[in-house]
Amino acid sequence: MSILQVNAVKKIYTTRFGGNQVQALTNVSFEVEEGEYVAIMGESGSGKTTLLNILAALDKPTSGTVRLDEKDLSKIKESDIAAFRRDHLGFVFQEFNLLDTFSLEDNIYLPLVLSGKTPAEMKQKIVPIAEQLGIASLLKKYPYEVSGGQKQRAAVARALITDPRLILADEPTGALDSRSTDELLRLFGKINQNGQTILMVTHSVKAASHASRVLFIKDGEVYHQIYRGASTENEFYQKISDTLTMLATGGEHR
Amino acid sequence: MKKGIYRTLAWTGIKKNRKLYLPYILTCMGTVMMCYIISFLSTSPTFAKIKGGETAQSFLGMGFGVMVVFSLIFLFYTNSFLLRRRKKEFGLYNILGLGKKHLAKVMLIETFLLVGITLLGGLFFGILFSKLAELLMVKILGGTVTYDFSIGIPSITQTVILFLGIFLLIFLNTLRQIHLTNPIQLLRSEQTGEKPPKANWIVAILGAVILGIAYYLAVTIQDPVTALLTFFLAVVMVVVATYFLFVSGSVTICRILQKNKRYYYKTNHFVSVSSMVYRMKRNGAGLASICILCTMVLVMVSSTVCLYIGAEDSLRNRYPRNINLDVLMNETEFSENTYTEQLKNLTKTVVEENGTEQTGVLEYRTAALGGIIQGNQIQLDPEKYSTTANISDIWQIFIVSISDYNRLMGKEETLSPGEAIIYTTKEVKYEESTIQIGENVALKVVKQADGFVDNSVDSMQIFPTMYLFVPDIETVIQPLKEYTWEGSDESIVSLHWYYGFDLPCEDAMQIDIQNQISQGIDEMKSSMGENAFFHVSLEGVANQRADFYGIYAGLFFLGILLGFVFILAAVLIIYYKQISEGYEDQSRFEIMQKVGMTKKEIKKSINSQILTVFFLPLLTAGVHLAFAFPLIRKLLLLFGLANTPLSITTTVCCYLVFALFYMLVYRATSKSYFSIVSGMRNEE
Repeated sequence: MSILQVNAVKKIYTTRFGGNQVQALTNVSFEVEEGEYVAIMGESGSGKTTLLNILAALDKPTSGTVRLDEKDLSKIKESDIAAFRRDHLGFVFQEFNLLDTFSLEDNIYLPLVLSGKTPAEMKQKIVPIAEQLGIASLLKKYPYEVSGGQKQRAAVARALITDPRLILADEPTGALDSRSTDELLRLFGKINQNGQTILMVTHSVKAASHASRVLFIKDGEVYHQIYRGASTENEFYQKISDTLTMLATGGEHR
Repeated sequence: MKKGIYRTLAWTGIKKNRKLYLPYILTCMGTVMMCYIISFLSTSPTFAKIKGGETAQSFLGMGFGVMVVFSLIFLFYTNSFLLRRRKKEFGLYNILGLGKKHLAKVMLIETFLLVGITLLGGLFFGILFSKLAELLMVKILGGTVTYDFSIGIPSITQTVILFLGIFLLIFLNTLRQIHLTNPIQLLRSEQTGEKPPKANWIVAILGAVILGIAYYLAVTIQDPVTALLTFFLAVVMVVVATYFLFVSGSVTICRILQKNKRYYYKTNHFVSVSSMVYRMKRNGAGLASICILCTMVLVMVSSTVCLYIGAEDSLRNRYPRNINLDVLMNETEFSENTYTEQLKNLTKTVVEENGTEQTGVLEYRTAALGGIIQGNQIQLDPEKYSTTANISDIWQIFIVSISDYNRLMGKEETLSPGEAIIYTTKEVKYEESTIQIGENVALKVVKQADGFVDNSVDSMQIFPTMYLFVPDIETVIQPLKEYTWEGSDESIVSLHWYYGFDLPCEDAMQIDIQNQISQGIDEMKSSMGENAFFHVSLEGVANQRADFYGIYAGLFFLGILLGFVFILAAVLIIYYKQISEGYEDQSRFEIMQKVGMTKKEIKKSINSQILTVFFLPLLTAGVHLAFAFPLIRKLLLLFGLANTPLSITTTVCCYLVFALFYMLVYRATSKSYFSIVSGMRNEE
């Protein structure tokens, strides 16, 4: 069953002082099945971030629809949208986006506190997640005290703690060194195996090679997609690499 | 490199940062203007000619000194704030190839531009408003208004030199700052990771304890002049405690709240409490400064306003009647009254010759002495009180006959020999049941009276006065004759006859009458011969009023002017705080939105934080003021203002007006805060 249905999404930005229009997304359609691990690739300016913002309901498409669990995002009332985002979506960002005024524990609790959970409930939820992500001993620390990889794992824990239907990751490895990257991608794989649906935007081939399917966006459209199938990570890495080369040099065919 | 580029860089530097520079320039202009006005008024020759003008000018001269110190500190502070915000820009220039020397050149030109604008603007408005200030001042002093316009060249020179000095110091500080930092630091200086503030229990508790002691001192100080040291100690302690509490106490409270899980993990409290910790750490010192500035403004303005409004009251205390005679005489005259009757008739004749009448005649005789009260004894032996003397034990003592008391107060008290009714002033109580004067006189205190007529000696002195109402003055003072002033045979007990009356006529005529009486007294004295012991001091309200108002109006005007400047300072600090808070909150605002807070929730949370942050100083200033009030009241008492309800009303009104003004400033500045915080998203 598909969790996410993106149908003919178009987004046009108008610059502030009138006149110039910029088409960020021309026509994007795809679906994500439950339990899938999808990577979206594309160069800078291809519209990746715009797409992610629309999926996250932070932005509205100019036309087209986005459905999550059969619910049209644009039909959700403005007042409910924050709660919807909180309960159904989990976010992992390139810049971690941890609040530096909170300890890691409180950062992870943030969405739960916003939903009005009691301290006991929260405590119960954080234990297995922190265990799984290997940050149980770091919970009392503050973001400035821990490494980038540890910050990102805390951010993942924050995304997971609400049991979201879908995790949206925006360049999650962008600010990490190679060891932390490997570590995080391994964790993402593990989380996905436990049944969590993940949608990741990246331009790291390595990150994408861990996914089960890769979508390529160019000039605001889904240009191509490849499935991992039975291939190993290395083989899939090669495939993605080849596709990217073709995209960059190859040309205008579809 | 082309020469013009420095100028362009300097100019765009100011223009691009106009959100920061405009208020800075306005404040600089404001301080220049105030300095000029105060300097102009303190030297203005037209102003000096008015009665009481010179007295007021001497106060304004002192005010200028305050302005100099204040301008220096304040402009330095605001400039360091500007520098902090611009370091990133400097770092960028540095990386793009502008050396530190070039940066210094740019800053020099910027400083020149700023100096030019602020001095020209400030002096322009200063000259414009100086006439208005002069008119106001003349009106307050009750002089006649002239409409000629003058410019105080020496004042301009004074102000220009002062501010060139200040800006030079500021510029040197800027150079130091540029010199000390490297480009990477310059670029990053705004976003270095911050440690979570630790709750400093010791400092927090110390702050609370110090504040408690200071409040206790302020409330219990009996006499602010004799306890001057304690008074200053209390002031310093309040300042220190305010800083301690704002910096550490607030953080500690937040930490305690965080420990309470049930309270902390609530949507409303979660974000607010944890952000408050950081906010208070960053702004504690600034807020404490605002708080102290506010308290200063409030104390200054409310006390000077009290003094000014209560001036007539004080005047009446100091001069109980329109014309007052205080005659110092010897014992024979004290019992026989031959000359006093003559003097009484003289005044009556003069008043009648001028076609008016004496009303509210006040007349009594008294024996006056000074002494130190220890236990139930008035110590008169100089040898004894030099050893254990304590300045707060010094009393003025007036011995008045019970018949005078009954006549003046409309009572019908009777006393047996050896008994006395006492009345003490300045709210100092005498609790003993007997009183011994010197070694030989002992009186039984049968009653505490609740009032007596005003006495100019009492209102002039800082010591309390004790009135002893006795059946017969002579029997009481007879044994006291043996006490004489050191090195002379003059008795320490002096004998007085007070005589005063009101005149239902204009001030000018009152002054005429006073002069004629004075002449009459001179004639009378020359007829009395060299040896007569009969010293008359003659005082008239009308004659003294202008000088009196000179002091009070000078203080009042100075209070208002300095109050204005301090408020200006507080406003600017608030504004800059709001702006820096805005920049800091911008990124946080975005993260919270991404994590799932609604804009409304965020706005509410931020709003409540900002409200707490900015109204904490106002509230604390109110508490400070409330605890300072007993002191203020006692100081006012020294100025002869005993009207407590008036002082309370005035102080409360001052606070309310100030709070209203504060609120308006907050409203105005919080707009720019919200535009910064939500600005990022709109521009994406």
